[in-house]
Amino acid sequence: MENIVIQGSHKDYFIPSVNFNAQNGMCEISGESFLEDTVEFYKPLIQWLETYTGEVKKPIAFIIKLTYFNTSTSRSILDLLNVLKDYEDNGGEVVINWHYDENDVDMEEDIEDYMIDTGLDINLIPFSQKS
Amino acid sequence: MSVVRNTGFSAQMFEEEVKLSYKGPIDERILSSIGDYINTMESFADANSVKKLFKIFFELSQNISYYSAVKVKMNDNREIGMGSLILKEFDDSFLLITGNPVNNEFIIPILEKSEYINSLDRESLRQYKRDERRRPQGEKGNAHIGLITVALTSANPLDIEVNPIDEETSFFSIGVRIDK
Repeated sequence: MENIVIQGSHKDYFIPSVNFNAQNGMCEISGESFLEDTVEFYKPLIQWLETYTGEVKKPIAFIIKLTYFNTSTSRSILDLLNVLKDYEDNGGEVVINWHYDENDVDMEEDIEDYMIDTGLDINLIPFSQKS
Repeated sequence: MSVVRNTGFSAQMFEEEVKLSYKGPIDERILSSIGDYINTMESFADANSVKKLFKIFFELSQNISYYSAVKVKMNDNREIGMGSLILKEFDDSFLLITGNPVNNEFIIPILEKSEYINSLDRESLRQYKRDERRRPQGEKGNAHIGLITVALTSANPLDIEVNPIDEETSFFSIGVRIDK
C-alpha cells in the first residue's frame, strides 16, 4: 500500500501537510486547511484510511496538528474520524492525538465536540505557542 | 478643472478605530492576504482574540464569495462575489462588519436562522453545530454552519441588518464583536 505525503503550503489557499504511512500506521495532518475544493482534497485520505483499515488492519496512530481549519474542512475531519470509529468498533486499534495551542479555547471545544460526535477517545495535547 | 472630493467619505474611512476596510471581489487571494494581515495584529492585541478574529473573518468572507448576489467576472472567467468589510478596534473589543447584496429569497431564511442562533445558549449552539455538520456534504444550509461557528467563536450575538436595494436584492450586513 502506497503512503500519502503532501507538503503543505500557505499561499492563496492553505494546504495542510499530510503524512500517512502504511508501514508503521502513523497518520499525521498538520498546518492549516483552507482549500479550493475541500472534498476533493480529503477524499483520497478517507479512501486511504478505508483501505488501510479494511486490508492492512494494523494499529493506527492518528495525529492532528491543525492550527486553523475552515467549516468545510471540519466536515471532512468528521468523515476521517468516522472511518477510525468504524475500525475501532470492529476491533481495530486506534490512538488519536490532537495537538493544539494551549490558548486556543475554541479548538479545545472543537475537539470535545468531535469526541461527542464520534464517541472516540481523543487525547488532547496542548502546546505553548512560540511567538 | 476642479475635482470635487467627498471629504465625508475619507473622514469616515480614517476614523481612528477603523483598522481596515475593503470593498470589491472577495476571492482566495484577498482572503489570504487580509487574513495574514489580521494575524500580524498579534503585536498589539492578545493572541487569542486575534485568532478568533481570523477565524470569523474567514467564515464571513467565504460566505460573501459564495453567496453575494453581485459577481465580478475575472479574466480567467471565474465569477467572484463582491462584498465589503470593515474592521474596527476598540479598547475592549474588535468589531468586524461584512456586507453584500443578497437575493431577497434568501433574506427570510438567513434572518430566521440568525435569530435562532442568537436565542441558543452555548451548549445548545454546540449541539446545533454537531447536528448540522452530520448532514451530508453539499446539502443546503452549509452557510449556516459558518454562522454557527461565527457565533460560537465570538461568544456574542450576530448583529444582522438588511436594507432593500431593489425588488430582487437587499444589502445584507452582519456585525460581530470579538471581546479582547
